[in-house]
Amino acid sequence: MSWLSFGFPAVLWGLLALPVIWWLLRLTPPKPQTEVFPPLKILAQVFKKEETPHRSPWWLTLLRLVMAALVVLALAEPIYNPRQPVATSSSALALVIDNGWSSAPDWKLRVATAERLIKNAEAKDAPIILAFTAEKANAQIGPYSAREARERLNAAVPRPIPTDRPEVYARVGAALNDLPGATVAVLGDGLATPDDQQSFASLFGQQTGNVIWVQPDSISTVAMTAADNQVDRFSITAIRAPGNPAPAQVTAGVFDDKARRIGDAAMTFRPGESQATGDIIVPFELRNDFSWIALDGQAQAGAVRVLDENAKRRRVGLLSQTPVDQSRLLLSPLYYIRRALEPFADLVEPPSPDLIEAIPQLLAQKPAVIVMGDVGTVPESVRAQLITWMENGGTLVRFASSRLITAGNDAELLPVSLRLGERSLGGSLSWTEPQPVAQFPSTGPFADLSPPSDVTVTRQVLAEPTPDLVDKTWAVLADGTPLVTADRRGKGMVVLFHIAPQATWSNLPISGSFVEMLRRIVQLSRNQGAVGARPDVAAASLAPYRMIGSDGVLTPPSGETRPLLVGGAKAPAVTLDNPPGMYGTEEGIYAHNLLQADATLAPIERPAISVPVADERYALDESRDMKAPLLAAAAALLLADSLIVLWLGGMFRRRPRAAHATTAMLALFVLASSFAATVPDARAQDSKPGDIEAVEAISKTRIAYVLTGVANTDSISRAGLTGLTQFLIEKTALEPGEPAGVDIAKDELAFYPLIYWPIDPDAPMPSEQAIGRIDQYMKEGGTVLFDTRDQFSNGLGADSTSPATQRLRDILSNLNVPPLEPVPSDHVLTKAFFILPEFPGRFNGSPLWVEASLDAENTQGRPVRTGDGVSPIMITANDFAGAWAIDDSGAPLLPTVPSDPMQRVLALRAGVNIMMYMLTGNYKSDQVHVPALLERLGQ
Amino acid sequence: MGRIGEAKAPVAASDALARGRLRASLVPDLLVEARRIMNTVIAGWHGRKKRGIGENFWQFRPYVQGESMASIDWRRSARDDHTYVRDREWEAAHTVWLWADLSPSMLYKSKSASVSKESRALVLVLALAELLSRSGERIAWPGLTDPFSARNGAERLASQLAQSLSAPARPDLSGIRRFSDVILVSDFLDPVEETMAWLDVVARRGARAHLVEVADPAEESFPYSGRTEFTDPETGDKLTAGRAEELAEAYRNLYSARRHELAAWCKRLGWSYTVNHTDRLASEALVHIHMAMTSDGHGPGGRR
Repeated sequence: MSWLSFGFPAVLWGLLALPVIWWLLRLTPPKPQTEVFPPLKILAQVFKKEETPHRSPWWLTLLRLVMAALVVLALAEPIYNPRQPVATSSSALALVIDNGWSSAPDWKLRVATAERLIKNAEAKDAPIILAFTAEKANAQIGPYSAREARERLNAAVPRPIPTDRPEVYARVGAALNDLPGATVAVLGDGLATPDDQQSFASLFGQQTGNVIWVQPDSISTVAMTAADNQVDRFSITAIRAPGNPAPAQVTAGVFDDKARRIGDAAMTFRPGESQATGDIIVPFELRNDFSWIALDGQAQAGAVRVLDENAKRRRVGLLSQTPVDQSRLLLSPLYYIRRALEPFADLVEPPSPDLIEAIPQLLAQKPAVIVMGDVGTVPESVRAQLITWMENGGTLVRFASSRLITAGNDAELLPVSLRLGERSLGGSLSWTEPQPVAQFPSTGPFADLSPPSDVTVTRQVLAEPTPDLVDKTWAVLADGTPLVTADRRGKGMVVLFHIAPQATWSNLPISGSFVEMLRRIVQLSRNQGAVGARPDVAAASLAPYRMIGSDGVLTPPSGETRPLLVGGAKAPAVTLDNPPGMYGTEEGIYAHNLLQADATLAPIERPAISVPVADERYALDESRDMKAPLLAAAAALLLADSLIVLWLGGMFRRRPRAAHATTAMLALFVLASSFAATVPDARAQDSKPGDIEAVEAISKTRIAYVLTGVANTDSISRAGLTGLTQFLIEKTALEPGEPAGVDIAKDELAFYPLIYWPIDPDAPMPSEQAIGRIDQYMKEGGTVLFDTRDQFSNGLGADSTSPATQRLRDILSNLNVPPLEPVPSDHVLTKAFFILPEFPGRFNGSPLWVEASLDAENTQGRPVRTGDGVSPIMITANDFAGAWAIDDSGAPLLPTVPSDPMQRVLALRAGVNIMMYMLTGNYKSDQVHVPALLERLGQ
Repeated sequence: MGRIGEAKAPVAASDALARGRLRASLVPDLLVEARRIMNTVIAGWHGRKKRGIGENFWQFRPYVQGESMASIDWRRSARDDHTYVRDREWEAAHTVWLWADLSPSMLYKSKSASVSKESRALVLVLALAELLSRSGERIAWPGLTDPFSARNGAERLASQLAQSLSAPARPDLSGIRRFSDVILVSDFLDPVEETMAWLDVVARRGARAHLVEVADPAEESFPYSGRTEFTDPETGDKLTAGRAEELAEAYRNLYSARRHELAAWCKRLGWSYTVNHTDRLASEALVHIHMAMTSDGHGPGGRR
């Protein structure tokens, strides 16, 4: 048995005792509980039917036998998988271990293999040279004693960097010159490097005794070589060792800077292929959040790629010469552009509208795109800067405007030469029709967009027809004239929309295609402000920010990591000083990745070696003492056996009722807890309670009255508004609901168009907050009808005031009351439904005060003055509610003064007019002009 | 985990003397308790309530032809035109045979019961003895005493019980005459056929029997589970059940079938059959028997 050996094989004879144990176990049933039981004769009759289990069940016997067998086996001290020793020379042992990035997943195997070799060398008392290929060039290599070597081996870790074999092998080869006949053990990572031939030549000198060649059986490493943010997708390229005939699939996960997984890509290696590509098709906005990509199941640095600014959101500068007019935003040249770009670009706008200042300010922000809304001429002083920026990769997007037409042609800042003047399509003096947009040319970036069917162009600027116009055209109209043209300028480009950026020339700016087109242009652009990409600075030193660990996990940098110098002629190398990861700060990241786009994972080839070579495999040193686990298993079985015996003895069923009770309690508890999880009313978290009341209040138009707190007044108010409601239902199309009494201190007032407020001097004065709420209500468009009901209680003197009037004055002193006037005879209130010269209530004579319509005009003797708005306040002393009030049978509740039935009718009509005025505003004042308008139209 | 049931006293199956002593020590206590229970019943005990031979006046009734002229009450008859006969209340003494099973199986008491079955049976019998003695009935214990009438009948019965060294498991009932009442208190756990054969002589004599089954709640509900060894206190037989809870259903069926069979047999004979559980009150059974004895054999007779 090669994988199992025993310390004391003789003990295994003890297994022969198992049948005896089996026989013994069968004989001893568990001890029963003894019970006196008088009706035994009756029980005996039952027993005839039952087969009494005098023996333990077979599985219990089996369990005990297994237990016994385990104990016997454990006593035999089995040892699992003892390995055969490897022959090493007694002169010296040189261990050359690759600890580059690809060795990380099975590093323990390498350490175990190396330990075995060290153990052999220890047995022969040979000195040991221990060298790692991904350490610093000046790392010590020995020779060491076995103990030292073991310590150093255990201290070594895999590094997330490529190996440096030539250097290290040369050092080991030099050291071996003094130790003839040494064994050289090469513990490689299986990957070929360009300088392998040379390195091995330097390692195996003439003095080498023999070679132990240890390489992994197969290279399972999969690494990522590229991650590109393309126009509509994010594409990832992964490589594996060539020549693998089996197909394979790997999944890549994309993470944002908070390490949340926000995307996945599946890549499939076809049989025999060593490269696979996968796409992550997610919205552009999400792609901007990508921070790094990692391959699932690959715990090494090559499977992780960090991303930097090149893949991120672009900055877009907006330029316009028209100052922004807040009141006419829709006519602002940049309005639609801003709305279209905001979701996926960082918009930069210069503080100054003057181009001479604005363009340098904008260029200082290093935008990827500059959009000129209505810029005509670019001032000479900043022109050169703008062109330089464009040559370096900036994208300039311009729009036609009247300014552009007057500015004339500009060979550098326009993609095509323009015909002077604009072209107008459609209109009363033109035969032509507004032109729709044709299919986008397949050469341009809009090729896969579908042309908008509802977009027409009425004005445009035309390009001079030149032979290369077609190549420069990205979008055309149905008649073949260009709509969007573009041309390259160095690394950048200039794009011209032949229409204005507002909706005046075409409705393209308000269509969805406009957003898509701008988005494509922005995606084509490149940020100019990537840190370190500035050509004027030779090299920037970037502090390490996040490092890729050898296990493929992003970690904060260790103390060993040096700042990265970027911006030189070639990309910085991945070394132990600069391991792969992100450098820079949170604002600007430079992605320092392990593998270049052309990297491959070729397997290493064994060089021709003149000395004997022993092939060895990586394996764990697994000689493991099995005694303890076997004994533990036996103990566990013993525990299980005890539980089973207790169960058979009825321990767990001795009290079935209690058990039922427990079960019931448990069920109740579960039920209760589940209820507890659901029972708390979700409305408890409702930050704005009272939805039901609100729905009730607004599902019908309701007239409200203020609850003064005086029961008599409140009941009259209610009866009065009920009467008015009845009258409204009878006479008009308005069918209000029940009158609503509102507490102005608490209730929501916004639901009611009109609040009737009878002033009662006996009622408590409303609080400041309540009056504040009334003020707010009036400002938001509500109207309060104050009724002092004291027309005949005022004294005769001019300065005498009744208590109710005094109270009204107190209330109004806290309100923002507009200037008031008695309802003029041509006010819309007098004609809103009925034609009323006055507004009587229970009393007659008091004027109805409303907001003075100061700017209203009635110059032409029309029946109603014009004017906007509804008066937020009305004041009367005529006691409307008293006149409206009816009892349950519909009979009037209070007499009018003087007692005149017509006065009550007029009072109700006044109420109808007020309600109509509330609900329709000045509509009626416009409506009275309809005959005159019709007459003017000649009908 | 303790046992559910136990034999209340350490009694060997054959140790009669110990049984006697134990019973003697038990009896006075029982007597007191019997008096206490009896006092709750005696309020409903109103003589014989029927005419018959006696000394007290019961009723006047019209004379019917064929009756003895001597029975005519001339004083009453002289007051009007009819002839009346004076009836007297029946006061003839009645013989009631009392017997309680004192076999070892009666010593059983489970956890949920308050007393052992034997204790309950003796309490019932002595209480009945007290009741019957007070009302002048003649009481007797088959195999122990002949019928006797005494005010202190219960004490005398108790002292007789205390002195008797051994009592047969099933006394000879052939001495019972017609018109006697027999009250048998036992657990009736023997096979039904044996019990019927034993009581057959009583039925043939025409005496009326009242069977009181004293049952322990554990015997009825069979609350045992797990591996259990059951011992019969009378024979010492042992039975071991592997999973006692699996037997419960069938056992309960058999147990109640036995009871029903016995009760049905009693009902057919016009006898009463009363079940008293040791976790319930003794007076319940006493009231039942009392009603059965006074119902003239046709009224509500115990449970059946």
